[in-house]
Amino acid sequence: METIWEQRQIKCDVLVVGGGIAGCFAAIKAREKGASVLLIDKGYVGKSGQSPYAGSFMVFNPAWGHDLQAWMDLVNRTSEYVNNRAWTELTITGSYERYLDLLQWGVRFAGNSKDEPTRFPGPSGVTEQLRFEEDKHGDYVQVLRRQVRKSGAQILDRIMLTELLRANNCVVGGIGLSVDDPVLYVFAASATVLCVGACGYKPVAYPPIVQLTGDGEAMAYRAGAEVLGKEFVDTHISRRDIPVGIPNMLGRKHPVPAALVGLDGPKRGRKLNNAEGNSLSPRPDGSSKYSFTYLETEFEVHAGRAPIYTDAPDGEREMVGGACLGMSLRKADGLWPADLHGRSTLSGLFAAGDALGTMQNGSAYALTGSAIANGAVTGALAGAAAAEEALSIGQVHIPEEEISRATHYVRGPIERRGGFSPQWVTQLLQNTLMPYFISYIKRADRLELALSMVLYYQEQLAPKILARDLHQLRLAHETRNMLLSAEMRLRSGLFRTESRGNHFREDFPSRHDPEWLAWTKIGQKDGKMELSRIRIPGAWHPDLSIPYFERYPYRFPGETNADC
Amino acid sequence: MAVESINPQLCNGCGICVLSCPADVLRMDKTKNNAIVLYPEDCVVCCWCVAECPTDAISLTPNLTARIFTTWG
Repeated sequence: METIWEQRQIKCDVLVVGGGIAGCFAAIKAREKGASVLLIDKGYVGKSGQSPYAGSFMVFNPAWGHDLQAWMDLVNRTSEYVNNRAWTELTITGSYERYLDLLQWGVRFAGNSKDEPTRFPGPSGVTEQLRFEEDKHGDYVQVLRRQVRKSGAQILDRIMLTELLRANNCVVGGIGLSVDDPVLYVFAASATVLCVGACGYKPVAYPPIVQLTGDGEAMAYRAGAEVLGKEFVDTHISRRDIPVGIPNMLGRKHPVPAALVGLDGPKRGRKLNNAEGNSLSPRPDGSSKYSFTYLETEFEVHAGRAPIYTDAPDGEREMVGGACLGMSLRKADGLWPADLHGRSTLSGLFAAGDALGTMQNGSAYALTGSAIANGAVTGALAGAAAAEEALSIGQVHIPEEEISRATHYVRGPIERRGGFSPQWVTQLLQNTLMPYFISYIKRADRLELALSMVLYYQEQLAPKILARDLHQLRLAHETRNMLLSAEMRLRSGLFRTESRGNHFREDFPSRHDPEWLAWTKIGQKDGKMELSRIRIPGAWHPDLSIPYFERYPYRFPGETNADC
Repeated sequence: MAVESINPQLCNGCGICVLSCPADVLRMDKTKNNAIVLYPEDCVVCCWCVAECPTDAISLTPNLTARIFTTWG
């Protein structure tokens, strides 16, 4: 049966896409500048994405005895010198003002009083963070939602922005798809701020990332923006007997419903043992002591010492990988920042939070709570800058042929008579990427093999994805976006011919500073994906006179002194 | 393990589970004003619906569920 579509056009100065902490801050700060703001989310603002799962908010405050240099030194070292120090410092120094915003809006932090919240030491022993005080999972994001409404910004839930619209090489809004009604929304916006999540590949194992399908980076790339940081992966593991750790994610103070008792997953910081009963190798001093931050489990598995166990109090529990399939290192990948206000390299397009490639944590995660603080800081910056730009350029015009092109693209899967389900293509993608020897223990021949499969899915399957209803139409676009993200991830992994932090190449098992104190940038040339190496400013390099094995205390299997 | 059913006798029609579901598995049955499990095959087992439901109307199946892998699909 042919779907009868209604088309609605909505004009605003600033379109904010994604309703986590970055999107809420962007919307509120853009309103404070006097812009008209529309915030849309493919789920429900205040409940979707990773923000509701956050427990910690990193706050830097010199009055609490915090030392900026010590914090920077920690991140520079742990990141293995590929963090973007400008963004690292902005997140650290901007966090206190955003904390004050949150307090003023009614977000509660654990502690005795507003003036004296309890400060929890970070696992490194250098930094500190606050914790949200919540009665139920995600309460603080509900406070943000109320504040967005109070600011006068309009919210539209359950609308997936699917394709950006362009005019004269500028982004002038986007086209959105409702999952509830056959309505296509044409948003005409003078500035668009992408605050959507990063890309997971829907692993049924790690709830925060199951709806993060790289929609932002995919549509931005298609429109001509540039992306970076796709080679640095995150590693989480989960219990074999149940796929997820539910109550410790949803817990907070909310009593655990009877149906969920006993389903908790591995707790952070818990000791891990290999099959021979030996503890996994210790972390270097000063680095994060969280489990799952580095690749220790993958190295054990690769050496044939699986299963991996935790020493859980109710008996040893067997752990498996894949829980975070596709998840990047916190705040690594995203749109290439053209400035320190969240501008992308494409006119009219801004990004914040996980959609912005700040590389604030470089190649490994050190600053606990900084992911969510970064969302607040970059959201505020990008929202304000987008509003100023929108108000200076005035109303935009979207050419009819551009609306027609995007409409055709968005409706494509539901207008097909035959083809493949998005679920099946997603399953193919998961099976291609999930094995430890593809996404974590990398080598050129295996990466090329996986890439050739992904390119086949893109070229031959993606155009034939079939959607039977609006629910599946959303899935169809998510699958297309994930295929593009997978290509970026595999190509970036191939491109970086060294190992560093959470990027390990079996065929290049050492850091190689002469060539790779650099970021990997992804763009398009003649319709093809093109990667380039952008060198990090010399002032941010480590002291190269320090012998290699002291400069990098964290060891990779098979590593030699790569500087020679 | 996945969301299995919503007891219509217990469901009060508040819709909070529908808004919480990241995978669009649950929908409101507008004629009966009940939430229903419309797309069980897409459940990602986050269980947020169970945690949010004010009347404990949502039950999980204890069986692990995985999509059967087929030559095409």
